[in-house]
Amino acid sequence: MFYNLPFEVPYLLTLLLVVPLVGAILTLSMGGKREKYAKYVAGLFSGITAVLSVLLIFTEDVGVYDESYTWIETIGLKMSYILQVDGLSILMVFLTGLLVFMVTLFSSKESDKPNYFFALILAMEVGLMGVYMSADYFLFYIMWEVTLIPMYFMISWYGGPRRHYAAIKFFIYTHVASLVMLIGIFALVFQAASGGVADFSFAAVLAGSFSESFQALVFLLLFFGFAVKMPAVPFHTWLPDAHTEAPTAGSVLLAGVMLKMGSYGIIRVCLEATPDGAAHWQVLMIVVGLLAIVYGAYACIAQKDLKKMVAFSSISHMGMVMLGIACLSEIGVEWAIFQMFAHGLITAILFMVCGMAGHNIGTREIPLLGGIAGKMPVFAGFMMFGFMASLGLPSLIGFWAEFGIIFSFYEYGAANGMIWVILFCLLSLLLTAGYYLWAMQRTLFGRLTTKIDLSHIHDVNRPEAIAMGAICALIVLFGFWPDAVLGFIEPYVQGLTSSGVI
Amino acid sequence: MFVEYTWLVPLIPLLCFVIVGFLGKKTPEGGGYIAITGAALSCVISALVAYEFFTSAAYHDPGFVTDQVVWFSLPGGYTLHFGYYIDSLACLMMLFASFISTLIFVYSKGYMHEQGVKKRRYYAEVSLFLTGMLGLAVSSNFMEMFVFWEIMGLCSYLLIGFWSFNHPEGDDAADNAASAAKKAFLVTRLGDVSLMAGLFVLLYTFGNLDYVGIFNPHALALADPNMIILASLLIFGGVIGKSAQFPLLDWLPDAMAGPTTVSALIHAATMVKAGVYLVARCYPLFTQDPAIMLFVALIGGITAFFAATMALNNMNIKRVLAYSTLSQLGYMFLALGAGGYLMALGFKNGDHHLVIAGAAGYTAGCLHMANHAFFKALLFLGSGSVIHAVGTEDMRLMGGLRKKMKITSAAMLLGSLSIAGFPFFSGFWSKELILETVMHAGDYGTEGYLFSILWVLGIVTAFMTAFYMFRMWYMTFGGKPRHASEHCHGESPASMTAPLLILSIFAVGFGFTILFGFDSLISIGADSTHNLVVGGGEAKGFEYFTDIFESIYTYVTVALVLIAISIAYVMYNKRAFDPAKFSGEGKSVLYTALTKRWWFPQLYNQIGWKLGYGVARGVDFVDRQIIDGTVNGLSAAVAGGGEILSKGQDGDVRSYTGVVIAGIVALFIVVLAIFWYMGGI
Repeated sequence: MFYNLPFEVPYLLTLLLVVPLVGAILTLSMGGKREKYAKYVAGLFSGITAVLSVLLIFTEDVGVYDESYTWIETIGLKMSYILQVDGLSILMVFLTGLLVFMVTLFSSKESDKPNYFFALILAMEVGLMGVYMSADYFLFYIMWEVTLIPMYFMISWYGGPRRHYAAIKFFIYTHVASLVMLIGIFALVFQAASGGVADFSFAAVLAGSFSESFQALVFLLLFFGFAVKMPAVPFHTWLPDAHTEAPTAGSVLLAGVMLKMGSYGIIRVCLEATPDGAAHWQVLMIVVGLLAIVYGAYACIAQKDLKKMVAFSSISHMGMVMLGIACLSEIGVEWAIFQMFAHGLITAILFMVCGMAGHNIGTREIPLLGGIAGKMPVFAGFMMFGFMASLGLPSLIGFWAEFGIIFSFYEYGAANGMIWVILFCLLSLLLTAGYYLWAMQRTLFGRLTTKIDLSHIHDVNRPEAIAMGAICALIVLFGFWPDAVLGFIEPYVQGLTSSGVI
Repeated sequence: MFVEYTWLVPLIPLLCFVIVGFLGKKTPEGGGYIAITGAALSCVISALVAYEFFTSAAYHDPGFVTDQVVWFSLPGGYTLHFGYYIDSLACLMMLFASFISTLIFVYSKGYMHEQGVKKRRYYAEVSLFLTGMLGLAVSSNFMEMFVFWEIMGLCSYLLIGFWSFNHPEGDDAADNAASAAKKAFLVTRLGDVSLMAGLFVLLYTFGNLDYVGIFNPHALALADPNMIILASLLIFGGVIGKSAQFPLLDWLPDAMAGPTTVSALIHAATMVKAGVYLVARCYPLFTQDPAIMLFVALIGGITAFFAATMALNNMNIKRVLAYSTLSQLGYMFLALGAGGYLMALGFKNGDHHLVIAGAAGYTAGCLHMANHAFFKALLFLGSGSVIHAVGTEDMRLMGGLRKKMKITSAAMLLGSLSIAGFPFFSGFWSKELILETVMHAGDYGTEGYLFSILWVLGIVTAFMTAFYMFRMWYMTFGGKPRHASEHCHGESPASMTAPLLILSIFAVGFGFTILFGFDSLISIGADSTHNLVVGGGEAKGFEYFTDIFESIYTYVTVALVLIAISIAYVMYNKRAFDPAKFSGEGKSVLYTALTKRWWFPQLYNQIGWKLGYGVARGVDFVDRQIIDGTVNGLSAAVAGGGEILSKGQDGDVRSYTGVVIAGIVALFIVVLAIFWYMGGI
């Protein structure tokens, strides 16, 4: 967009699916004696994917990469293999490519069956890329389910002590929700069917006409499916458990890109396909968003596990996304997408830091820690940076997202004569600063802890520092230059306005 | 030709931050020389910019130079800019901030010399701190200002917590520093959130956040007056947090946990001055309604009084200075509030004399800000020199240092005289002008009587200031040497005493600028369209001299100051009678209230604990037991229910038929309900 590549990569979007898939298979085969080379294979393939996703964002007109082939065509049914990207998905594709590569780099120490571990990461990337690129509901749903399986195994093989409980809870909870979503998708597709053929492509559904009450009903089905994924209070309890038990790589991908599938779905499906339904349930969305924001922030204060605290902060910040979408205004949706991207970057740092606390110190329990900054200065620096970015320090990316979303909510409040509603958001800003600073005070600062054995702790190693440093650099870059992100979102949101969605 | 390079002023310290932060280990003094050079360069460029601005045509019309580029825009026609805005106020701020910071950095070379590897972190963070202040001073709009405002908040957190781990004095001190840093950030954050809300109101009301866009009489006239009042009060909420005014004043004394040079930086050159700057900058907005300015003045007056009482019996040399900062900041807000009140009344009633009288309050507030920057930097650096030499902050262990530390004691004496408002020292001029404006404001408006009360608080505060400052001086330098003084290893090195000498000159002499045209540079005037312009006023020069000395009230204040100094002399130098007799051996209610800081910390803790942790525990309970309990209960019910249902498979066709029919009926009802809801398809 800012620099137009002079060449095109043929079948770029398909490559984004195929490269990690081939990588996953090859990595899987690196068992036994070849185990120690698994990380290099995984690094190579995730690196190629990351480069491809970068090539994608440097393309002026991403429309040239659209791909469309009929896949299944039987009596009355048509499913296609359609891939395309636009301003909403391009950021998510980039984020997926980037985070998967960084996570591979970060986890290069992994020594317990590394071939399975890295293969799962790459398999997850296939699913995530597929969700963000597909423009056909059938493909979308398949890819949606594809992301579940590697994550399930990631948690139940490589997780903490309660990993089996957490994995099965994660799987069933989100799977049941996605079945509800599937009913919603069927309702949309069959209602939109014309000429006796139910076409699953996005375009066909958008072309259909739905009555307002039909939209209101179907919206609820779809919204439930997506909201559980985001997750929205009170359907969130799978998330803290999954995060606490998942390995660092799993947590980063789960919070960084997987939660965004929920908000992506709300914008892509609920808003685009059932705009009247969204308008009908606007207040519900606002309440759900505000509840998540404040509830999540309060829950963070009471947590004793660093990683669980960060998990709840994700709930709070994804509530911000929900709130932005719920405003159903140009500003709101634009900054909600911005927040999705910002949160993806920031939360990666947060989970990496928490994972390191577990690995390098030996515990993530806040009451057992203290004065770590003196022993691990680089770790402390990254932790502080991540926390500051997450609490919305101006000049870092997170601040702009919060500013935009709360301003859009202020606009909504002002239009309805109740500007006091932003008090909830302001309260959450204060609480966010509170729990992060309190956590830092108890882990990094003060007297050096004597409750744990400190003889084995070691500071950040080189691959970890490179992975986190690169993400930090992006957080600063986009913090000073938010236009670099907004440039992608703006045309998309303008498209929503001109098609009358918001 | 220099004004176009204003962006270099904040950029140079920022570069120093990056260079020292990444490469500081390899440079001498942990990057100290780089930081000093950067600050000095910024100071030189500020001076060049200021010189060019004051000699340019733009100084007289329109009174400012501004340039900005589009940063990004929000849908709905809101555009945010990034640029600089230079007027007299911005020039004053960047000049004294960069000049004093340079001196403090030079002083740090001696003071922080023994800190080893920590020096790199120190110099990187103070450079970023300076970036925040200078960026704030030259920002062209509220958004940019807010970014720098928060960068300063971050730096104060980092620097107050500089010793929050591996503290040289042990674990308790480290815990204390960590807690103080958190408190400073959270309390100012409360204010910042309020300021942010103010920005939302402004952005929504005016469609932009540019100074030129908002401080424009046409735009102000078109805006909803209620929204202006709301925005002003919310912005002032941010000021209350940042400048530690009542009731958010408690973080600043705790912030003494950081190195003394950081205290000097926070109190003199940066951070707390940002609030004063913001009120002065928002004058066109705040003067839209007298009530806003009355509120500013009330907060200022109350803070001045309260903070001074808490300094009366404190034994910690840095804490006394911290309270004095709060108190003096209160004076500044009192001045700005009183002046603005007169001005707002003048606009409301169409009385131009009141507008001119109000401008005097603005000048007095800004002059006091500059004066205070010099004498407070001097006092903090002097106290740092003492602490460096004797190794304690407790004044009960000092005494008799006059002979061992000649330069420090003389410099501290000059600083104390200045802050006490001793005639002809710099603090004297600004304080008299402030009290005069407050007195004047008491004669106008229905709420004018409040200003008369504030005036009384003001002179009582002046009395207390003189007393506690000289109490401090005599306890430290006068009398006989006590425990810690005996171990004093003499005067500090030249890199520490040289800044003291330079600051002494300014602490004594800067007040005289009021007689030589300060009021023409830093004044605020309005033309017939109520367009407020900083600078370009008429210099009254020596008229101030006669004004001040013809007023009977001046002699009242001077007399109070002299009495206070002599009481301090008798009590703490001569030790003619024991101060403990006053306080009932430190057990009287008033004494306890003062040492407990009027129970403010307890109040904070209670509120914070109840509203924060208390609610959080409740939420956590709901989350674990009720929400997650339901989820787990449901899954158990599904598993258990399956087992029960499996017993229903008894092979009897009749019971199967019954279940099927019941199912069909239930399904039929659901479908009917859906059709009913949708009004038929």
